[in-house]
Amino acid sequence: MFMKHSLVAASSLGLVLMWNASATLASDADAEYPTKPLQFLVAAGAGGGTDNFARTVKPMLEEALDTNVTIINLPAASGALAHQRTASSSPDGHTLDFASSTFVTSLAAGQNPIGLDELTPVARMQSDVMTLIVDPEKYPDFESFLKHAKENPGEVIIGGTHAASPDRMAFLAFRDATGLDMNFIPYDQEGSVSANVMGGNIDGMFGEISSTLGYMESGEMMPILVFAEERLGNFPDIPTTVEHGWDLTDGNERGVFVNADTPPEIVSKIESSLKNVYDSDAYQEYEERVNLHYREGWLGSEAYRQKLEDNYELYKRLLEEN
Amino acid sequence: MLESFLNGLAVVFQPMNLLILSSAVLIGFIGGALPGISGVILVVILLPVTYSMDPTAAFMFLTAIYGSTVFSGLITAILYRAPGTPEAVMTAFDGYPMTQQGQAGKALGIGILSSVVGGLVGTIALIIFTPMLASVALKFSSPEYFALAILGLTVVASLGGRLIYGLIGACLGLFIATVGFDPLTGTPRYTFGNLNLAEGVGLIPVIVGLFAISEVMKRTLSEESHKPLTKVSVKIFDMPVLRKIAMTLSRSSLLGVVIGILPGIGASTAAMVSYSEAVRWSKTPERFGKGAPEGIAAPEAANNAAAMGALVPLFALGIPGSGTTAIILGAFIMHGLQPGPMFMTTSSGLIYAVFAGLFLVNFMILLFARPFITMFTKLLNIPYSALGPIIVMCCIVGTYSVRNSMFDVWLMLGFGVLGFLLEKLKFPLVSIILGLVLGPIAESELRRTLSMSQGDLSILFTRPISATLIIISLLLLVVAILVPLRKRARLKAANS
Repeated sequence: MFMKHSLVAASSLGLVLMWNASATLASDADAEYPTKPLQFLVAAGAGGGTDNFARTVKPMLEEALDTNVTIINLPAASGALAHQRTASSSPDGHTLDFASSTFVTSLAAGQNPIGLDELTPVARMQSDVMTLIVDPEKYPDFESFLKHAKENPGEVIIGGTHAASPDRMAFLAFRDATGLDMNFIPYDQEGSVSANVMGGNIDGMFGEISSTLGYMESGEMMPILVFAEERLGNFPDIPTTVEHGWDLTDGNERGVFVNADTPPEIVSKIESSLKNVYDSDAYQEYEERVNLHYREGWLGSEAYRQKLEDNYELYKRLLEEN
Repeated sequence: MLESFLNGLAVVFQPMNLLILSSAVLIGFIGGALPGISGVILVVILLPVTYSMDPTAAFMFLTAIYGSTVFSGLITAILYRAPGTPEAVMTAFDGYPMTQQGQAGKALGIGILSSVVGGLVGTIALIIFTPMLASVALKFSSPEYFALAILGLTVVASLGGRLIYGLIGACLGLFIATVGFDPLTGTPRYTFGNLNLAEGVGLIPVIVGLFAISEVMKRTLSEESHKPLTKVSVKIFDMPVLRKIAMTLSRSSLLGVVIGILPGIGASTAAMVSYSEAVRWSKTPERFGKGAPEGIAAPEAANNAAAMGALVPLFALGIPGSGTTAIILGAFIMHGLQPGPMFMTTSSGLIYAVFAGLFLVNFMILLFARPFITMFTKLLNIPYSALGPIIVMCCIVGTYSVRNSMFDVWLMLGFGVLGFLLEKLKFPLVSIILGLVLGPIAESELRRTLSMSQGDLSILFTRPISATLIIISLLLLVVAILVPLRKRARLKAANS
């Protein structure tokens, strides 16, 4: 009983102190944040990578900010509805938009009307490595793929998910950098793409390395090129784009956005709380479990914005030239 | 394999796991019976609950929910014409007329039996043939999917009623399906700049609107007063009926398994194709839509078989065969498991426990279905003035929950009015649904086919499976058109 009372006393004292502090620093809006439960808008359907990401962060952020979080999935229009709703929410940092690279790819393709002038990136927390994946019986290594594609212009078919997806952008960027003449077929689901690669109906696909591990062991599918600066520690045999002289390193990234009018102090408070979440053992364990630990995922607000702006320019150009 | 399966059964029969399985079946029953709450949503809602469970129990739980929702969608489809899940739409076409003829018990009995038979055939195929069937799935690519969709669509010509209405209906369905971003190029079609339409018109708002809402409107406006059903007795093993539907049952179960294992098309499509085939093979196709027992047996056997079939590529290759299995795939990854071609070897203990669990689930459905359904049939005695609003409320909540979208609710109500008007014109709703579900498959797969062959149509005939399917559909189409013409000519000759 005594314990409880002293706790209450201590915390009310703390509150009074905080109140005073915020009164002296009038602009210090973040001291009170969050004033109510948070809302996570997930720009993807339930059960996918972005949804799992949001649901993993939820309890961690709840603890860090001492509040409650509700998650709403808004998969419609490749997540554009989630961005729209975030952009029109009250700019107090209580509505967080969890999105993947599809945000910027669909923006460049004109399918998402909400740009970086209406949303502020808070942090990037995941960076999955893009790879070129083939059936190793058809192409045992990247050299043989390259040779075949050069000798048979227009014959090689690459599959991917919809027309404004990160894997389509990887395809366009790859074709742009290599000058190879290849075709792209979009499918509705990633599963259909891999089925067609395994069935030998198409030549390959671009996909994240995390989703191909199961196939590498059995040899049904194999990544033969990684989009990275350096070879991955876990896969030293797979060549990189950069060592071939192509500056392609974008993968599928996942991060958090808020309304662009949110006060900078609140943005940085969310950013630092997310950083604490990112550095926690529990979060790192999750990254390892779902194979997202091959390269650094964290990027702060400013750096992430710069990255997204660069991506936007590149994708816009690639789509226009296509 | 037998040994692994028996080990699996031993795991399943642990008291805790039995409890998990039976609660999963009951949860699935309730979710499946509520219009709009489909297996996908239920699995998503309950996914976080499984994070604290051990993986074997977690996946027995999720797959059992999945299996039982596919079953229980038929209850409300038959009793109120409000399909509880998209998989059960076809069941409403003949199930509801039987209820109106006072044969609700018979219809439900056929539904239960067909579901269990389909589910068992599917589960046995899953257990015995998983590695083999998976390679069949890989033989199917765009040309084969296109041919399959065409085979399904040609049945419009064989459906009873006026052919021209069937064609208009199918075209209407095809038109609704074109709304949204073009699946290949991403160009917006008929979206009018509205983001809510970008992803297209969802299947659930259309189905719930066209069937459930329009029926509530019709019943509310009809002059006839409420006539309470005195007693509905569900008879599951009814020998004369069973003899009649035996052929349909076996054909539909096999068809369901085969369609189920194809990645990307699920139990709803299987129900549709198998209903089409039941109509086509029937000696009395004109009875369909008016309460034919085969019209319940075909979709129910097929959708339950297909639901199990959809697990084949998931376990054997890590490729989901349908929407719900895609979420189960995500759950595997969250549990730190690695689905893929090695999954059967690395996690065989878990997989065979899940198989054994699914096997048992079919018997649990058989056991629990009757008491559960009796609860629902009691609701038939509530005056429709009270029941109607409850149905509408369930439809609104269910439709909203699919995408958290109020827009979908308005869309659903709009389709309710449309369905009401179309039925006043004696318009066959079945052809709209056929167009809506099979249209997008046909369209995008044809375009993918042509991308594969660089514009050469002959690819459809050089691949053996697609060639066979297309030739069958062409032949069936010719027969369906010629037979009535000859009948008419003969009638004319007889008259003169």
